Amino acid sequence: MAGVELLSDQGFRIDGRRPHELRKIECRLGVFRQADGSAYIEQGNTKVLAAVYGPHEVRGGRGKALHDKVVVNCQYSMATFSTGERKRRPRGDRKSQEMTMHLQQTFDATILTTLYPRSQIDIFVEVLQADGGNYCASVNAATLALIDAGIPLKDYVCASSAGFVRDTALVDMNHLEESSGGTELIIATLPKSQQIVFLEMNSRLHEDNLSAVMDRAVAGCTDVYNVLDTAVRDHVGETAAAIGGDAA
Amino acid sequence: MPDTRRITGPEETQSPFAFCPQFLAQSAEAFSDGKRRDGRKAEADHRPVFLKAGLISQAKGSAFAELDKTKVVCAVYGPHEVARREDFSMQGQISCEVKFAPFSCRVRRQHVQDGREKDLSTQLLEALEPAVRLDSFPKSQVDVFVTVLENDGSALSAAITCASLALADAGIEMYDLVVACTARIHGTSILVDPSFSEENLKTVSGEKPGGQVTLGFMPSLRQVSALCYHGDTDLDVLSQATQRCQDTCHKLYQVVQDTLVKSVEQRMNNS
Amino acid sequence: MVDVNLSEAEKTFIVHGIQDNFREDGRSNEEYRQMDLETGLMSNTSGSARLRLANTEILVGVKAELEEPKPEKPDVGRLEFFVDCSANAAPEFEGRGGEELATEMMNLLYRAYSASTVLDVSSLCLQSGKLCWVLYVDVLLLECGGNLFDAASIAVKAALFNTKIPSVKVRQEEGEETELEVSDDPYDVRRLDVSAAPTVLTLSKIGHNHIVDASQKEEACCLARLMMAVTASGSVTATVKEGRGSLDPDSITEMMQVGKRVGKAVNEKLLETLKEEEQKGLKRKTVGFLR
Repeated sequence: MAGVELLSDQGFRIDGRRPHELRKIECRLGVFRQADGSAYIEQGNTKVLAAVYGPHEVRGGRGKALHDKVVVNCQYSMATFSTGERKRRPRGDRKSQEMTMHLQQTFDATILTTLYPRSQIDIFVEVLQADGGNYCASVNAATLALIDAGIPLKDYVCASSAGFVRDTALVDMNHLEESSGGTELIIATLPKSQQIVFLEMNSRLHEDNLSAVMDRAVAGCTDVYNVLDTAVRDHVGETAAAIGGDAA
Repeated sequence: MPDTRRITGPEETQSPFAFCPQFLAQSAEAFSDGKRRDGRKAEADHRPVFLKAGLISQAKGSAFAELDKTKVVCAVYGPHEVARREDFSMQGQISCEVKFAPFSCRVRRQHVQDGREKDLSTQLLEALEPAVRLDSFPKSQVDVFVTVLENDGSALSAAITCASLALADAGIEMYDLVVACTARIHGTSILVDPSFSEENLKTVSGEKPGGQVTLGFMPSLRQVSALCYHGDTDLDVLSQATQRCQDTCHKLYQVVQDTLVKSVEQRMNNS
Repeated sequence: MVDVNLSEAEKTFIVHGIQDNFREDGRSNEEYRQMDLETGLMSNTSGSARLRLANTEILVGVKAELEEPKPEKPDVGRLEFFVDCSANAAPEFEGRGGEELATEMMNLLYRAYSASTVLDVSSLCLQSGKLCWVLYVDVLLLECGGNLFDAASIAVKAALFNTKIPSVKVRQEEGEETELEVSDDPYDVRRLDVSAAPTVLTLSKIGHNHIVDASQKEEACCLARLMMAVTASGSVTATVKEGRGSLDPDSITEMMQVGKRVGKAVNEKLLETLKEEEQKGLKRKTVGFLR
């Protein structure tokens, strides 16, 4: 995007953040009563809702059931009014299908799938407002929803992105930074064991800079983890207090 | 392979009628010289009705209905196994499909079902379901196909009456026949069985647009199986219109019954 | 529709309660449940509203776009409705599973807004035959807790109330292309007059009585319902009967009377709430789903 300076000489990004700063994250667990688990997350202007149903019997024919592990079924959809220009369909287009697949791979690697053979877990993600980092927000929301549903995970999955502008790696890209055509690296990690469950990079980047960008993104994931963990602990504390138990 | 030498037409086409002022200028007057636009004398007058049952030999049951120029044909197939059965159900299913023939309206209709046709299909289903003994064919399905051959107004009510006659002709067990009637509310007048031009009367500015109500009625049981209205009017006028529809349904009921008796007699004579 | 499995005994309990004008959640037959409404929470829409009616959650976004008017109606803008049943609401809605319900809701909204007196669409036209505003009203169903049609229509009306269309001036000089001039001031916007817009009121016939605002359990006991779109002035813009049962003509008259009365009250209350919220102005903090 010509004319827009992604990083000023003073080291500020277009929305006023420093290169290592995340956008403000606000989240809430248990938004819905009917779903087994649900969560809502705002990362800056990106707003995502996630709902988890299951584990339950496999829907749509026995043939899909796996004898040794659970079927993780995801659906990614975007509200028609979520983007700047109105979308004609909420799902089913190529981009949403790809996103659905990526979510499925991510959570297949994180959920302790062998605990529920011949069953199914549904993860539904709905993007209400898109302002960059849709995958990251979706993963973070789905993690919270899975925790809310009480489904055993290896660890939190936290996702973050990083770009590279004027020899500086920028964490948690917003829509404007994403659409400028530069490098973007999207990563999802299990923060405790420092394992990567999903990694995607587009556009060109010199090999020497790769580790810097990766490190920044991984650091972003760790920051996200701290926020999510606090939210979960608060939520559990509140729930425990509500039923009269001891928060500790 | 498309013919590359030919100049392809524009992707989107418009009907020439849209650009022709004579067709656009709809009148606001329902009456001229004390008569309705197609020559009927009173608001409550129905157009001449012709009904015939059992005309499609391959179908289990069929019927044809004519309200002057509005012509509708219906075929009923089944009960047969549900193709994509999900849950076990002790109740049978009905599937309805309403289709306008490509040549039925002023503008050419596409072969694929459009939004309005889907809406009419659900309305038809709503009207028929209460009348049919669904428990008499568990796990099975009855298909109702309605084709509007010519649309000169009141297509939905013609479709409902025709479909219930076809269901009866097919020997599907029913509590009662469903007879339907449409009324157009225009200003202070309530026009029963409106023709196409009456359906599209222009609203006088400053007045409520009135609207159109279709009533599906089971006369012996005195039960309403379908009621659908859109427009803008007061409740009293709407109740008046439904009452008038109901009266007309009672009159039509005799005709439908006679047709059914005739078709049964014919079948007895043939066998 | 999301199914609730009820035993015969549970159904009898609900039906008997309604007979005595005392429903399972303590309401009377003509009483609504608590509603939470918030408008203007989605920043990249022209207008938005979120409604929570007990467990029913609806989010509506309105986007205004400039387009060419339809050739058969060159002097008016238009409303386009779209309903999406999110899989978040029920796993059955995954993929294309929610389409049937969505179409039904969409058709009812189109019907309710079909009359020209409901919303002044001619003011949406900027240049006859060339340019008009099209308002895309997108309804997103996020959770089902019964009475979806009413909730959707109320949220739609609230979102339309909240809609701000940028003021645009059309300039055309002889033999030149039309030029659009958009106001620089973000507060220089046009609002829609929704005082005549309808909301839907669903009356469910259960046993020999009818109730408004049925919960999911009550909907499972209901064989036939009458949905009517009522405006604040008490006029009716649409009615549809839905369900496998049929209705007595006398009870229809009675239901319509109730529908008109309650519908009018809902409309009045809604406008009052919206105006109250509006008056708080910029000081109001949007909470969205964070509450």
